[in-house]
Amino acid sequence: MYGGGYIFDEPNKKQLREEQQHDDPEKLAIFEARISKGEKIEPGDWMPAEYRRQLTRLIEQHAHSEIIGALPEGTWITRAPGFKRKLALIAKVQDEIGHGQLLYNAAETLGKSREAMINDLLSGKSKYSNVFNYPAKTWADVTVIGFLIDAAAIVNQVANAKGSYGPYCRALERICYEESFHLKQGHDALISLATGTPMQKAMLQDALNRWWQPIMHFFGPPDKVSQHSEKLMQWRVKMASNDEMRNQFLDTYVPKLWELGLTLPDPLLHKNIETGRWEYTDPDWDLFFKVINGGGPCNQERLQVRRWAEEEGRWVRKALMNPKERRALPVA
Amino acid sequence: MNAALQKAITTLITSMADDALILGHRNSEWTGLGPIMEEDIAFSSMAQDKIGHAWALYRILQEHLGGEDPDQFAFIRAAKDFTCCHLAELPISSYDFSLMRHFLFDHAEAVRYESLQQCSFEPLQQLSKKVKGELKYHTLHADAWVLQLCRGGEESQQRMQAALDRCFPLAAGIFEPGPQDALLADAGIYPGEQTLYDKWLNTIYPLLVNASLNLPDPAAIPPQYGGRYGNHTPHLQALLQEMGEVFRLDPTAGW
Amino acid sequence: MSNQSYDPRVNRLKLGNADDPIKVEEGENWNVYEVFHQEKRGAHHEHVGCVHAPDPQLALVFAKEQFGRRKKCVNLWVVRSADILAFDLEDEDMFANNLEKTYRDASGFKVMDKINKFKGEAVKPPKA
Repeated sequence: MYGGGYIFDEPNKKQLREEQQHDDPEKLAIFEARISKGEKIEPGDWMPAEYRRQLTRLIEQHAHSEIIGALPEGTWITRAPGFKRKLALIAKVQDEIGHGQLLYNAAETLGKSREAMINDLLSGKSKYSNVFNYPAKTWADVTVIGFLIDAAAIVNQVANAKGSYGPYCRALERICYEESFHLKQGHDALISLATGTPMQKAMLQDALNRWWQPIMHFFGPPDKVSQHSEKLMQWRVKMASNDEMRNQFLDTYVPKLWELGLTLPDPLLHKNIETGRWEYTDPDWDLFFKVINGGGPCNQERLQVRRWAEEEGRWVRKALMNPKERRALPVA
Repeated sequence: MNAALQKAITTLITSMADDALILGHRNSEWTGLGPIMEEDIAFSSMAQDKIGHAWALYRILQEHLGGEDPDQFAFIRAAKDFTCCHLAELPISSYDFSLMRHFLFDHAEAVRYESLQQCSFEPLQQLSKKVKGELKYHTLHADAWVLQLCRGGEESQQRMQAALDRCFPLAAGIFEPGPQDALLADAGIYPGEQTLYDKWLNTIYPLLVNASLNLPDPAAIPPQYGGRYGNHTPHLQALLQEMGEVFRLDPTAGW
Repeated sequence: MSNQSYDPRVNRLKLGNADDPIKVEEGENWNVYEVFHQEKRGAHHEHVGCVHAPDPQLALVFAKEQFGRRKKCVNLWVVRSADILAFDLEDEDMFANNLEKTYRDASGFKVMDKINKFKGEAVKPPKA
């Protein structure tokens, strides 16, 4: 799963101008023509430095979001109620790690090693989806994450899978296939609570109330304040605007919550019949930026746990390291 | 089937299932926290397999031997009614311990299920065929890791030796003889714990030698028994508390 | 010790300080192996991705779960990424004219046209 909107780097304009001056205009024209024809770019192709930089950043953040995203749900692995839920949850968290593995490989084809990406995650230099900086307090949180966050991730990933970079698209194809299982098991677990005992319903409603704002944050700041580059759209790195994706998510999933008798903590939330667009109370975007910059309830714990895992596994990795062996990046 | 034999088979299956359930839970704690992503995925699959084996065994109890609903039986039962071995109960500790436990336990499982391929109780015999491929992968994985870590330099070799020294008496406890072993052997259910123990030693010994590990002298070290009779380490109670935490909020609700 | 997490697993860990510098060394994630997946007997092995592994044997062990745990699979190959030889993508033009060389392709031979033409021109064949 993944989210947080596109947290693109605001390029250093001066550096960018210089780079663009160095981009061979003939090669750039071939590159852009290929993309506008709907063809994919492959690892060995010439590409503008800015394309490589933004794409590396995008895929890397996506990969980090997968392995950090495994933590809030991992919280409930030992406590999942009953065999079916337990196995499904372990398999789901395992898939998130598997997605991380696929995505780091895709990012590596652009030239940055997996170790360097992990170091940037651990040092806080590189971000991951904001939504994972919130705690999963009860079992109902797992069902909300499993259904709604994965649903939002699918909206995002299906869009990205139509992007221009071959290795990323191939990874996303497999990821989207597995996400459909996540969504289904999340929906199933959520329905069990929504149609269950009064205690179960209350537990679910409480979780939904707490997660609503982070979910509204998920696709990133509204288009009117989000700075995004026309270039990234043209290069098919950014595939849809934050508001478009948020609208698509609300359109598909809000009715599925309402039909279960659940409520959402926003009295303004409704679909405008005339425009076909959803209207809602603007979530607190200051909070969004505060959480991205380390001020969320779980930022510290998430990184501490990741550091623990890297430290704890170090002797294992080092014992089997072979520095003399010829090493290459993934070929595709 | 007479009542005594039925009870003996129930006891055997319960122990096997409890081992798989508890160790599967322990190993699943590594999911998301493993030493490297590829291994995280592999270890998680094997934890899922173990929990799956437990589920299948509890279903045999329910369907053929008058047992309870598997969820109720697994998540509500008191610690004293569990008959898992102590090896399965201990916390995950470091990866050396978890890997060595996995190596010793899964070879024991492979030996046990292999013997069950001739089991006269058909549901068990069928299950043994079904899990054969999974256990083959588990032992392949375990053998590769133990060998490589033992050849991965001094620190790594020492860690693995220490893990073996710690795990061995616990692993011998897997084969704690039950009071009905003779009855089960006579009925063609399985050959009994002593036979499985000998086969297990014969399997692991050459693998350990190849990895330059010293097997502690089995004759000199008393196996850690007790689990099969409901005597457990304090870790089991804590784990069961956790496992049943959500389920017990309302055991009659659908989750 | 308690880390006051909602995750009991995390509460059992001895976590370090969040600010302690930790760095993963280059090469610590081992080498890269490409993975080829065979869906059923008789099918080609197809490239599905790669794994990081210290040697071919563990590469296979890892590939089995990362690429064989869900979809149907009967066999896998692994090969070091460093051992893959490929054309430069810039040489794509070498492949460009293949479709025009119709003498290599069944569609380049219009047998029926000729037969129909012959039949049209010929007198009715004698009855056998």
